[in-house]
Amino acid sequence: MAAAHRGSDRFGLSWRPEYAAGILCHADEIDIVEIIADNFLRDGASARSLRTLSAQIPITLHSVALGLASSIPLETKRVERIARLFDHFAPVSWSEHFAFVRAGGREIGHLAAPPRNDETIEGTIRNVRIAERIIGGAPLLENIATLITPPLSTYGEWAWMDHIVGAASCDLLLDLHNLLANCVNGGHDPEQTLRRTPLHRVRVVHLSGGKWIKNPIDPERRHLLDDHLHDVPDEVYELLATLAELCPNPLTVIIERDGNFPAFEIVLDQLRRAKTAVAAGRAGRMKSRAMEMCLEHA
Amino acid sequence: MNTPEVESFLARLYTDENFLARFLDSPGEVLEREKLSTEQRAALAAIDRSELVLAANSYRHKRDSRKSR
Repeated sequence: MAAAHRGSDRFGLSWRPEYAAGILCHADEIDIVEIIADNFLRDGASARSLRTLSAQIPITLHSVALGLASSIPLETKRVERIARLFDHFAPVSWSEHFAFVRAGGREIGHLAAPPRNDETIEGTIRNVRIAERIIGGAPLLENIATLITPPLSTYGEWAWMDHIVGAASCDLLLDLHNLLANCVNGGHDPEQTLRRTPLHRVRVVHLSGGKWIKNPIDPERRHLLDDHLHDVPDEVYELLATLAELCPNPLTVIIERDGNFPAFEIVLDQLRRAKTAVAAGRAGRMKSRAMEMCLEHA
Repeated sequence: MNTPEVESFLARLYTDENFLARFLDSPGEVLEREKLSTEQRAALAAIDRSELVLAANSYRHKRDSRKSR
């Protein structure tokens, strides 16, 4: 697998068949595509198609069904299936989530937040190390949106994740809409939360959108649902600019869309807006550093 | 803390509508039948019910949308 990206910021999209033509026609504006690994496991033909795509544009693999963040040991055969994709091409990175997806013989069908305690910290570190050994590189781990505060948690969300990435030596895939949703739903300030994340570990960023939904029991409450079916909101671009100002690493920024697909030009405009936000953040970072140097030499 | 048992219980709440309904109706009765510690039962009984319903609905919607593809 390629070493950590150390060049300039990169911008890309999640690969969706609906956008295949658009991505290939606008490859000059798209630096990278993200592939959902689980969509290419069923047969060799679909896996080999990744080789053709990777010859035209760099690919990063995004896995959604390993369930690494769990006190329950990882099923190694699932990782081995993903590892076989690497026989066909060399992705620049691979990623998974701070989530469990199955337990007690049941498939949840999506990413669920486990109890954030010492057992799941130890279990996640163990599972990440197993996956790293099989695949040959550690995953970036992505923060998830959760509508429920996991019971039996003894850590807050970011302290729990910080323990895991520190001990497992992983980098972060920071989903800014997931961060926003968990903050607004939990009564926290999104920018302050962003400033407290381990920014030196952030390498990849996801941008997406969601919608507000009503509380089923208390009509006075509403919640931000991260459904990946809507445009990236203004607040996420603002967080992206702040991240670019604070983060010392080159960033790979990816727009995600899982359905309700608008015209490709609209998604491309969102990518362009992301580039503008990052450029503004980087300019702010350079200005801050220049001022620090002036003060040091004053 | 025997977190695997808690993860299994949560997975059942998220995937079994009848089990969820029984839990929302009588959490104490449902928890009493499970092999959980006193601490685990207390924590699960204290789950925000509206958050639980929202989460379960969201996961069911995700499973259903995959089936329809």
